[in-house]
Amino acid sequence: MTKTVHRSTRIRETHADNIFNAVNLVFWILVLAIVLYPLYLILIASVSDPDAVLQARVLLWPVDFSLMGYQAVFQYSELWGSYANSVFYTLVGSLLSVMITLAAAYALSRKFAGKRLVNLAITFTMFFSGGLIPIFLNVRDLGLYNTRTIMIVMNLVSVWNLMVARTYIQTSIPNELYEAAVMDGAGHFTYFFRCILPLSGTIIAVLSVYYGVARWNDYFTGLIMLRDRKLYPLQLVLKEILASLTSTGSSDTFFEAYADNLGGLQEALRKAEVAKYCCIVVSTVPAVLLYVFMQKYFVKGVMIGSLKG
Amino acid sequence: MTGSAKRRLHLGRVRRAIQRDWQLWVLLLPALCFFVIFCYFPMYGVQIAFRDYKAAFGITGSKWVGLKYFEKFFSSYYCGRMFANTFLLNFYGLLFGFPIPILLAIMLNQLNGKRFKGFAQTAIYVPHFISTVVLAGMIYLFFSPTNGIVNHLIVALGGKSIYFVLEPNWFRPLFIGSEIWQNAGWNTILYIATLTSIDPQLYEAATIDGATRWNKIRHIDIPHLLPIAVMMLILNCGSLLSSNTDKALLLQTSGNMATSDIIGVYVYSVGIAASKAQYSYASAIGLCLNVINFAIIMLVNGISRKISEISLF
Repeated sequence: MTKTVHRSTRIRETHADNIFNAVNLVFWILVLAIVLYPLYLILIASVSDPDAVLQARVLLWPVDFSLMGYQAVFQYSELWGSYANSVFYTLVGSLLSVMITLAAAYALSRKFAGKRLVNLAITFTMFFSGGLIPIFLNVRDLGLYNTRTIMIVMNLVSVWNLMVARTYIQTSIPNELYEAAVMDGAGHFTYFFRCILPLSGTIIAVLSVYYGVARWNDYFTGLIMLRDRKLYPLQLVLKEILASLTSTGSSDTFFEAYADNLGGLQEALRKAEVAKYCCIVVSTVPAVLLYVFMQKYFVKGVMIGSLKG
Repeated sequence: MTGSAKRRLHLGRVRRAIQRDWQLWVLLLPALCFFVIFCYFPMYGVQIAFRDYKAAFGITGSKWVGLKYFEKFFSSYYCGRMFANTFLLNFYGLLFGFPIPILLAIMLNQLNGKRFKGFAQTAIYVPHFISTVVLAGMIYLFFSPTNGIVNHLIVALGGKSIYFVLEPNWFRPLFIGSEIWQNAGWNTILYIATLTSIDPQLYEAATIDGATRWNKIRHIDIPHLLPIAVMMLILNCGSLLSSNTDKALLLQTSGNMATSDIIGVYVYSVGIAASKAQYSYASAIGLCLNVINFAIIMLVNGISRKISEISLF
């Protein structure tokens, strides 16, 4: 008797759940299409014939496969100069950022005199800043304007990342370990380098992705702090290629050329159009790859940090 | 105890604290230097908002002018428009952008296949890793009046091609829509973390009681998400006047100024991009915005602490 009742409710449940699951599946297929299709479109347009791209015939797969755009991009030496700059800024900057953040996060995870004040001073910077102009003038007065150094030290430590790292150390490394280390005569240095660092693989991965991607994608710092084109990071050069993105300067003439080009379409302009897609691919792949490779640690680590943060 | 004995005791304690903790301070030092030099120096330098900054006299040597530049800003013709634009851009962004991550997190949590679930979660984070420049570039490419795929679609459906990036009415939809596309997935992290921390026994008990998936969402997921959602909402209210300056700058054209003219971009164009940069004036505008934002965050945090006992600090 009880058995049959149980079975009948289960059947009804499964039926309702089946409908829900079907709806959910459709929902996710839609979401994934919206998220991934623009990226896919960029990818297939970058290897298609310029004419096909301009006529929007490239929708589902590459049309008239051609590497014309990539050829144009590879010949553009300024792009590769800026690419090298960005690699440099990103690698050196992120390495410093991760080390400094981790060291500070460890210090803030321990008790010491003056900790409250330090915490307050750091948190305060999250909510109040001097503003763009005082930051700019400060950098100029320090003699760092238009140098590689400023591209490294600007945004060196993010308060948010510091908090995430501190929470991680506090919650996932047991305090008994510290007590045992101290018993064995270890100071903070020994404990940090011998115990904390080896146990922080996850958080190091998370911080590397956060800092690395932020630096790779950073446009504003270069825009404000650099004048010399030789120092430009990738994003600044990229912006010029993707063209006409600002309100000032040449943008409007570009738009006019754009609007008029139905009449006298030039080959160069056509090629340039596909080259834009190629530039997007070339510049975005490193950041996305970094994320995809680190993804395993990443989701776990971010969750740990964000829950308590 | 005599005064000198007290002092000795105190000094002894300080010395012991230093002996014990100096290594911690060394580890903290690089980060502290960064915050002092790149955050607190500019806060000191913000006084140029009240001075007539001349490069020759430096920050502390220029003449005091009081509130001159604040008055100039508040009496300027576009002041009201800029405040409205900044506020509305953030307000609509919050209105449309806020619920989506919660919905995504709930639906993701209900997905069955482990591999598909993992794939979906990985995929929705990907746009977050695209740079603002590329995002703006994609908008220009896809929404181009002659070659863009969107306008090709509109024309194919019998409509008239729209010059999206020059239309004031399209600035906010483009800005907010791309924002959602880029970050809605990423913003699910907090909610997914909350959902995975729910005790599985709760779901099992609900299943035994005959709850459908929909029932479980309503009676388990949503109540668990509510406190964190409220907190996020309150926090987001604190940034109603801040702005994503670089994205607005990249999407601003001479055509859409009526809606894209926001305070952050104005500070940049007056203080940095202008051939004759007005440092003091731009600083004053920036300071106004920062003070207002700070006040809103304090207010919102206070209210939140009173009502829900959830607060930032």
